[in-house]
Amino acid sequence: MKRVGIIGSGNVGANTAFFIAENRTASVTLVDIKEGLSVGKALDILEAGPIRRYDTEIRGENSIDAIRDSDIVVISAGKVRAPDQSRDELYRDNARLMAPICEDIKRLAPEAVVINVVEPVDMITLLVQKGLGFDRRRVLGVGGLLSSTRLRYLISNALGVSSREVTGMVVGPHRPTMVVLRDTIRVSGIPADKLLPPDRVDAILEEVSRAGDTILQLAQRSTSYYAPSAAIAALVEAISRDTKAVMPVSIRLEGEYGLSDIAVSVPARIGKDGVDKIVLVKMSPGEKTAFLAAGEELRASLARVAG
Amino acid sequence: MPRRKVSIIGAGHVGATAAYYVAEKVIADIVMVDIVEGVTQAKALDFLHAGPMRRYDVSIRGTADFSEIADSDVVVITAGFPRKPGMDRMDLLKANAGIVKTAARSISDYAPNATVIVVSNPLDVICHVVFRTTGFAVHRVMGMAGILDSTRFRMFVAQELGCALTDVHAMVLGGHGDQMVPLPRFTTVAGIPITQLLDASVIDRMVNRTRKGGAEIVAHLKTGSAYYAPAASVAEMVEAVITDRKTLAPCACYLRGEYGIEDLFIGVPAILGKNGVERIVELDLEEEEMDQLKKSADAVRKGVEELNTFFTVR
Repeated sequence: MKRVGIIGSGNVGANTAFFIAENRTASVTLVDIKEGLSVGKALDILEAGPIRRYDTEIRGENSIDAIRDSDIVVISAGKVRAPDQSRDELYRDNARLMAPICEDIKRLAPEAVVINVVEPVDMITLLVQKGLGFDRRRVLGVGGLLSSTRLRYLISNALGVSSREVTGMVVGPHRPTMVVLRDTIRVSGIPADKLLPPDRVDAILEEVSRAGDTILQLAQRSTSYYAPSAAIAALVEAISRDTKAVMPVSIRLEGEYGLSDIAVSVPARIGKDGVDKIVLVKMSPGEKTAFLAAGEELRASLARVAG
Repeated sequence: MPRRKVSIIGAGHVGATAAYYVAEKVIADIVMVDIVEGVTQAKALDFLHAGPMRRYDVSIRGTADFSEIADSDVVVITAGFPRKPGMDRMDLLKANAGIVKTAARSISDYAPNATVIVVSNPLDVICHVVFRTTGFAVHRVMGMAGILDSTRFRMFVAQELGCALTDVHAMVLGGHGDQMVPLPRFTTVAGIPITQLLDASVIDRMVNRTRKGGAEIVAHLKTGSAYYAPAASVAEMVEAVITDRKTLAPCACYLRGEYGIEDLFIGVPAILGKNGVERIVELDLEEEEMDQLKKSADAVRKGVEELNTFFTVR
């Protein structure tokens, strides 16, 4: 069975462990710098097993050394965004945590596929990829996948249909400039634009772009973590079972979709070694323009925090 | 809330395997009815024995007594002969229409509030027999075909692209026969139409293989036909109705002008929920797609007319 190491046992890390347990796809080791946190959460998850019918191995450890030889490492450490905090400020807070984490991953799990969920996710994913020096296909960020599940839910809710048959992909940076690939929003293959009035779809796209903020404003002291954890668990499943699932993930681009040297979400086929292939999807002219502009805005943000 | 009940008429391979898949979903008690005494009871018992390991705890009964379908929420009709190599669907029609008429009468007698899912072939014509015999409202009679044809198409696409099966969705309209209408424009991987991902010649090959999907299996087996994918398709439809899932999937529905077709059962996209067929979705088809659908409808209509020459439906 594949081994997953999760660095950071807060709401996202612990729920990711829980979803992986329910999927029975991999054994999990949770670690956190806060003494006892991982041990307590792991025990709580294990004790739910007899009722929830999983017997997955879940360990909680205080030392990061416990992630040794993990096949997959999830980085869910660091701060979440406070209401009214800018992404640049958040970047400065979280970026400084990444250097020691990268050193630990290089030392303990040099062959691992790394999944980053630390915000601002595209900027941190690029930083982590550079810090690790791993092939870019082994360093993925959870951004578009999270927005996509939100999109799919909102579409199914508006239509009153089951969400199981709803597809839809969100690409670009994980911030309000994200780009929804409108033609991919479909129900059993039928475009949502044939089932819903176009202005209704427009309103949903708008809602998706600020879905994280909506939850942040509602919950105030905590950001969302169920959907983010579900997105990570989906990636873990695709990697550990080598499913070749197609989903948007943040990856450093080298010319694909006209962008280089930044990481943003693009559709990718996921397998045992991470991104097996970047899938090139036809964008409308409007989407293409918006995607490139969003990329440049992200690049400007990177330049600001570097300066 | 009362326990839900699903009855399956005909406990051959399709019926029994459908019963098993429905049991695994743990959504309803199950009654299997077959005129062959003994075998049905044995299969029900065998399923129950597997329950402790497979973790379903629904009631499963096998019987030859049609009155045991009383008060079912859903009744599935799988009774009839399977197609044998070399047999066309019309030979089948003659053999199966009488069997299904008897089943349909029992449903109106014992389960007058049920939603009926027809599986017996030739599917679209048999739907008529059930619809006319039961006298049920149009939304409560539907046929299982499009989901099966789509799941085959989905499998072929995933295999061709080397992508996850679960990311592929497909739409196949028309009658359940060689003239079915697979729609590549509405067949996608994570929402991306396959027309962007595969060459037209490859798509054509998969479309043809889908059209002959049932025959391919019959040719391998020599005696017998497919039942795992058909039974899985039945279970999907049963689940949509029992749990009111609002699943959008192609199935044989009675059309009253949709797609320019009147008074005919044929495969179209529909939303399935507790009221059966809750909405028929009309797609803007391109001219060629519409022509294919019309041709397929003509073939079904011919079947209905032939049925009328030797058989009184009421």
